Amino acid sequence: MAETASATHVRHGSSIGQPLTRRDGVLKVTGQARYAADNHPPGMLHAALAVSSIARGRVAALDVAAARAHPGVVEVMTPANRPPLAQDPDDKNGPFVFRMEALQDDRVRYAGQPIAVVIAETLEAATEGAALLAPRYEAEAVETGLDASDVFIPQMVGPGAPAEARHGDVEAGLAAAERRVEATYETPAQYHNAMEPHAIVAAWEGDRLTVDTPSQGLAWAQERIAGLLGLPPENIHIRSPFLGGGFGSKGVISGPQVLGILAARLVGRPVKLVLRREQMYGPVGHRGPTRQTLRLGAGEDGGLTALHHHVRTATSRFDDFLEPAASVSHTLYAAPAIATTYDAVRLDTGTPLFMRAPGEASGSIALESAIDEMALECGMDPLEFRLRNYAEVEPMSGKPFSSKALRECYAQGVARFGWAGRPLQPRQMRDENGLLVGWGLGTATFPALMFQGQARAVIRRDGTALAETGAHDMGQGAWTALAQLAADSLGLEIDQVEFRSGDSRLPDAGIAGGSSHTATAGIALHHAGADAIAKLTELAMADQRSPLFGAGNMGVVARNGRLLRRDDESRGESYADILTRAGLAEIEGRGTGAMDPAVPEHYATHSHGAVFAEVKIDPELGQIRATRLVGAFAAGRIVNPRLVRSQYYGGMIWGVSFALHEQAVMDKCSGRVMNANLGEYHVPVNADVPSLEAILVEEHDPHVNPLGIKGVGEIGITGTAGAVANAVWHATGVRVRRFPIAIEKLLV
Amino acid sequence: MSGDRKPASLAEALSLLAGAPEAPLLLAGGTDVYPARAVAEAWGRYAPRPVLDLSGLGLAGIEDRGDHHRIGAGVTWAALRDAPLPPWFDGLRQAARQVGGVQVQARGTVLGNLCNASPAADGVPPLLTLEAEVELASRRGTRRLPLGAFILGNRRTALAPDEIATAILVPKPAGETRSAFLKLGARSYLVISIAMVAGLLEIDSGRIAAARLAIGACSPVAQRLPELEAALIGARPEEAAALAAPEHLAPLSPIDDVRATAEYRRHAALVLLRRLLAGLAAPQAQGGSQAA
Repeated sequence: MAETASATHVRHGSSIGQPLTRRDGVLKVTGQARYAADNHPPGMLHAALAVSSIARGRVAALDVAAARAHPGVVEVMTPANRPPLAQDPDDKNGPFVFRMEALQDDRVRYAGQPIAVVIAETLEAATEGAALLAPRYEAEAVETGLDASDVFIPQMVGPGAPAEARHGDVEAGLAAAERRVEATYETPAQYHNAMEPHAIVAAWEGDRLTVDTPSQGLAWAQERIAGLLGLPPENIHIRSPFLGGGFGSKGVISGPQVLGILAARLVGRPVKLVLRREQMYGPVGHRGPTRQTLRLGAGEDGGLTALHHHVRTATSRFDDFLEPAASVSHTLYAAPAIATTYDAVRLDTGTPLFMRAPGEASGSIALESAIDEMALECGMDPLEFRLRNYAEVEPMSGKPFSSKALRECYAQGVARFGWAGRPLQPRQMRDENGLLVGWGLGTATFPALMFQGQARAVIRRDGTALAETGAHDMGQGAWTALAQLAADSLGLEIDQVEFRSGDSRLPDAGIAGGSSHTATAGIALHHAGADAIAKLTELAMADQRSPLFGAGNMGVVARNGRLLRRDDESRGESYADILTRAGLAEIEGRGTGAMDPAVPEHYATHSHGAVFAEVKIDPELGQIRATRLVGAFAAGRIVNPRLVRSQYYGGMIWGVSFALHEQAVMDKCSGRVMNANLGEYHVPVNADVPSLEAILVEEHDPHVNPLGIKGVGEIGITGTAGAVANAVWHATGVRVRRFPIAIEKLLV
Repeated sequence: MSGDRKPASLAEALSLLAGAPEAPLLLAGGTDVYPARAVAEAWGRYAPRPVLDLSGLGLAGIEDRGDHHRIGAGVTWAALRDAPLPPWFDGLRQAARQVGGVQVQARGTVLGNLCNASPAADGVPPLLTLEAEVELASRRGTRRLPLGAFILGNRRTALAPDEIATAILVPKPAGETRSAFLKLGARSYLVISIAMVAGLLEIDSGRIAAARLAIGACSPVAQRLPELEAALIGARPEEAAALAAPEHLAPLSPIDDVRATAEYRRHAALVLLRRLLAGLAAPQAQGGSQAA
């Protein structure tokens, strides 16, 4: 029903496609947007986490008495008095359920693990109390690096993809190749570092719980908290109207958040717990380190004969999340033989987690570097080589792409960047100040995924409407883009639609992850609006007093708050009139957004792009400045070009960061992250951000979903990181295969 | 914390300090104190200490005292950065623009940077080239120490437990002076230095009459380069860069750390030094103070 209706009367382009500014922008710049930690329910106490300073062992003693005696301290929560949970936090009952530390025992599994919670009248008292705990430990030796001794072969990587994949005979392809490249690249552990730390304000009322906490997955969070507490999910109310960034680290509920809830239960008062910056380098996930070996074979003509992408990665000693870095090789280049394989080690760290472009970010910088190395081996321009190996179908699966405007991306990017005339050999270009100049290219790709989401739309008798779904705005602009989709689905201007979101009491919008949120929640809204319009249409068509009487469902179009006959648009009436005459206050529609299972069966669904980078390098110091980036991306229908461009910029800056700046430095003895602060965990500052240009390449995807929406949130990192690395090589002739690129390696 | 105090005068501060049962933590801008505390808290090493907050002492003036300038303990990097000062302060003011970000510059004090005594303190090399002294006050009286004698090592100074550093005293050089500062970090800004170089030349009749050069972040305490300074006397400024040689860096003892290797630091220090000298030879062409 909804499908039929949506095909007939939903008009695209009145709001969709418009570069609307953020609807929550004024709230944010005036400080009125209420983030989780801005909540102060009456009687609220402050909790401070005490965390482990060793990475492996057990807590032998805590001076609870000293902490409790500190003025203002109300209670100290340790494994001895932590309220019981209905479920062991170490139980795993789903692919997106991760083991967490919720004071279940005295074990220490990584540095920065919560070992106690001090609850006090003030944050200062709680912090002092935590310091007074003066823990004593029994420490054990730690493993911190990719060379750890116990290597295993994982069966699954990422959230549940098979680790090993093969197509064709790679060894035969390599043997037959006239050109071969084998190279090993390393990427470090990285931490999400959202500006807003994980925060929770928990308030109990009997067995009902209200939680303010940033969440990229409200329904998952609700289910996880309910499961741990042994309560029905409807007893858990989570509010998350705004996230100050998430990048994956707020996709699942973490141990500290659960501890905030338990602290509130223990003291019988609302409790606020906010992670300190350095506490975000342990219990809330990170991007696992990788060591990737690429083996490529090519013929004289530059055609790839084989591609083997092997990944060594690391997970924690107590749970599995393995960075799926090789998946990018399934998609990008048309080698007749492809193999992707993994092995892994277990480290005394928190469990890695999905971090913006999980897999693709790390894999892309290695693959794009290796492809460049092979292009040089073949004496070909990097773009020419990529076009020579352009994948017309997805190489690993053989499936056609639901859409793929990558050729146009290359073409528009090349023109805009001015790639023509780039010397093949490195170290050929200088600027007027004598700096070495290099140009590099990287192909961007990220899967177009969908989770499952629901939405509700209500048309009211006054002609306005309500649309709601429990979506997540983590800065990407969901408040705006989803409202645009809702407005179009209802045939109304955006200001006539009240859009509600960010609350677990609303229909489940699916997780804001995998670059899928606009598609998932948006299509749910699209169908909900269509359902409401369809019901309204039926009401009108069945009513002899309506000008639409007998028009037939296919013969009606919704526009500007009116239903019109398709064959004669002068005949129609307003939503308000239809509802008023029917004596109804409102009419409700419901919708679901999910990938049709037939789509991935028949098509490979990905966004694509091409990123061109210019860097300038001081020949005497090696100092690198990315000076210019042009990215051209094709991601299906663009709902809001302003927001999408912002997403690309953010991703591209992240790519620069990946190539040149970001890494967690681990102390091999203590197992601690030594730069667990934003002063020393480098990301680009404004002065490091080059001139950025993002081109939105038109692409129509008739298959991926009814609106042809693919994802834009993560793809910008992919391609860019490799483009910058390739530009550094082109400027200097030095191929650095360990990221981020250290400037001292560039001196020749 | 209960023992925290914010005295309103230097006399009161010195009296509190003399009578304190345990040595309090002296707080000026807090831009080093608070991050250090956060790290200590993070790893369970935080031993709460009472704080003696010096921000109420009113020592925030930069004064011309005839034969020297007096930079009070409360003078922030931002105040120094924006003050109209003679050219021998150019290098120090270039450092002021590159210490942290503008928020850190607004809070952090120049003298606090010296008291913190980090090997990578951006204030030390320029003040070494200015032959600055540090004024220390206690109830016993006031003394002055040359900066090189005040900073004893990594995070160690000659400040006695009952003393407060009250001012930096900068003598006025003779004749035409030029000064500059160059800093190298792994990103463009908001970065801990891999190496930095400060220099001051006194020029007389087109020749270098005196040269003072210092390099930071390449030894536990920033070092002057006396041999090169001597070698430059009598040279024309435009000859200076070519006179700098690797052996002049003998006072340095760089280490490998997360920011760079010792070898790179030694190399970069020489590159920066030559660039600084080349820039001082052509002061009108000297645009930015960034290394590259």
